[in-house]
Amino acid sequence: MAESWSGTLEKIDNYRWRISKSYKPGMRVPGIIYADEKLLKDIRQDKAAEQVANVAFLPGIVHASLAMPDIHWGYGFSIGGVAATDIEAGGVISPAGVGYDINCGVRLLKTNFKYDEIKDKIKGLVYVLFSDIPSGVGSKGDIRVSEREEREILVKGAEWAVKRGYGCQEDLDNTEESGAMQGADPSAVSERAYERGKAQSGTLGSGNHFLEVQVIDQLYDRDICDELQLTLGQITIMIHSGSRGLGYQVCDDYTKSMIRCLQKYNINVPDRQLACAPVNSPEAKSYLGAMKCAANYAWANRQCLTHLTRLVFEKVFNRSWHKMDMHLIYDVAHNIAKIEKYVIGSKEKKLCVHRKGATRSFGPGQPGLPERYKKIGQPVIIPGDMGRNSYLLVGTQKAMDETFGSTCHGAGRVKSRSAAIKSINMNLLMKELESKGITVKSSGRGTIAEEAPLAYKDVNQVVDVVHNAGISKRVCRMRPLGVIKG
Amino acid sequence: MKEKKYQILEHTADIGIKVKGKDLKELFKNAAVAMFDIIVEKKPENTQNGLDSKKIFIRQEAQNSEELFINWLNELLSLSAAKEMIFEDFQINKLDEENLIAQVRGVDTNKYKVNTEIKAATYHGLKIEKGSTGWQAEVIFDV
Repeated sequence: MAESWSGTLEKIDNYRWRISKSYKPGMRVPGIIYADEKLLKDIRQDKAAEQVANVAFLPGIVHASLAMPDIHWGYGFSIGGVAATDIEAGGVISPAGVGYDINCGVRLLKTNFKYDEIKDKIKGLVYVLFSDIPSGVGSKGDIRVSEREEREILVKGAEWAVKRGYGCQEDLDNTEESGAMQGADPSAVSERAYERGKAQSGTLGSGNHFLEVQVIDQLYDRDICDELQLTLGQITIMIHSGSRGLGYQVCDDYTKSMIRCLQKYNINVPDRQLACAPVNSPEAKSYLGAMKCAANYAWANRQCLTHLTRLVFEKVFNRSWHKMDMHLIYDVAHNIAKIEKYVIGSKEKKLCVHRKGATRSFGPGQPGLPERYKKIGQPVIIPGDMGRNSYLLVGTQKAMDETFGSTCHGAGRVKSRSAAIKSINMNLLMKELESKGITVKSSGRGTIAEEAPLAYKDVNQVVDVVHNAGISKRVCRMRPLGVIKG
Repeated sequence: MKEKKYQILEHTADIGIKVKGKDLKELFKNAAVAMFDIIVEKKPENTQNGLDSKKIFIRQEAQNSEELFINWLNELLSLSAAKEMIFEDFQINKLDEENLIAQVRGVDTNKYKVNTEIKAATYHGLKIEKGSTGWQAEVIFDV
């Protein structure tokens, strides 16, 4: 079992805990963990809290090294970590604060089906989704592109897919950054990264990535549900995927080059994986240009997956996706760094906000939100594990004030993959899922056990914390009916 | 029974290994073996006949042996993904603190049943130590 963490946590209120700046010499700001007492027990089981303290070493970090209630032990940053650095004050960017799967993220589509109408067809639907959507390790898609087109994907992101006929303008409007970050620099992406990305557009990938058919089983905010035209018993679809091999290679290439930067810019961090460079340095500019390319690739990928999903529904139900009302509610990134403006003290500052396993949670009125969400705030999509719920939330002003507009990203693991495999009886697990009415199809034998519900924290508890702490607001809850996994 | 060259370490989100070798060359080799053991669920029969395999040469440079170790593993992962091959028969021809020259055998990934995708070998918690009986390393993979 992983070593536990026994450092001191000062209680700020029921949902916030502070790691004092004096915990470790070299910390520039305190750490703040969002959790309740129950989740803290899980969090203390591994070294995630130590990583929250380590991130506080980053030059230029402001306010605090933040951790969301789903944090778990990562490398460099914890998964569920948020850190913002002041660019003008020498603030840094670290590839570890984004992760290998750049712009890993999730999107939610609605339909006009009610559970009762299609409950007998779900099993068949899941089988067709599994056969028509490429998934699994190193999976390759039918959507093949030339190298010239790949460069176009890196700059245009989801728009490239829409231009090819794989979606519509509304899909782009309802995607974070409209599906493409500006300033992507294809020349900052290595040949190897191109090679790894070539055949993987429109593929789900493996591990915790999934496509899920769900039913809304609880409404929390009826006004917002009405606004989004979501009701009890309605079928939704959730897609969780990222930038695949291209993103991993970008992270690897730049972690390598930024290790050199630690010495060059005289940066002291307690873990080499926190390799970083000042945002204004040539190394960081190059990383940002490449990171944006990988992010755009991921948005194109999720758009392609959306298209494939709509095709499957058209095939199974024999009508157009428009008739099935398969509109995109929203698409969020949960592994990314962004340059955003916040008031620190009394001055507006340009910050580099790292969200590593954390979701943007912009409150009402924020620029950058589509017109239709300006009033309610940004939709935040929180996937759970395959046996429990997922959530739709919205961002809040409190998130803008406290967490650089950020919230949690999922359930967060509690059990290692190997421990999960050891302790799970596959037959029992499959029976249990079946008895809950959940059909699961996976290409990797081990994936289902690795991703079993007991390997995760209870997403309901995680969402309770972010809701009660006020950094996002519950809108509705979904329950899985069919899951395809890599 | 022959002593196992590596063991799996528990890590909440990822997978770690503790690996041994009588010298640095063997340590690098055994780490690569462990990594592809994690990736591959089932090997094809008779990959030894060499019919469908390709020799790949790998050259890496770094500033110290820890970086070289990570670069070696990440280069194998990256090449494996880009060339769509699984690697075996790791022969390390030259290895010092800063340079590595190796030769590996690549077999088409389609011939294997692949279970786990490793995104990268990380520096987090990385340890390489020389003990009385040889070398030992710990490394965590992002999966």
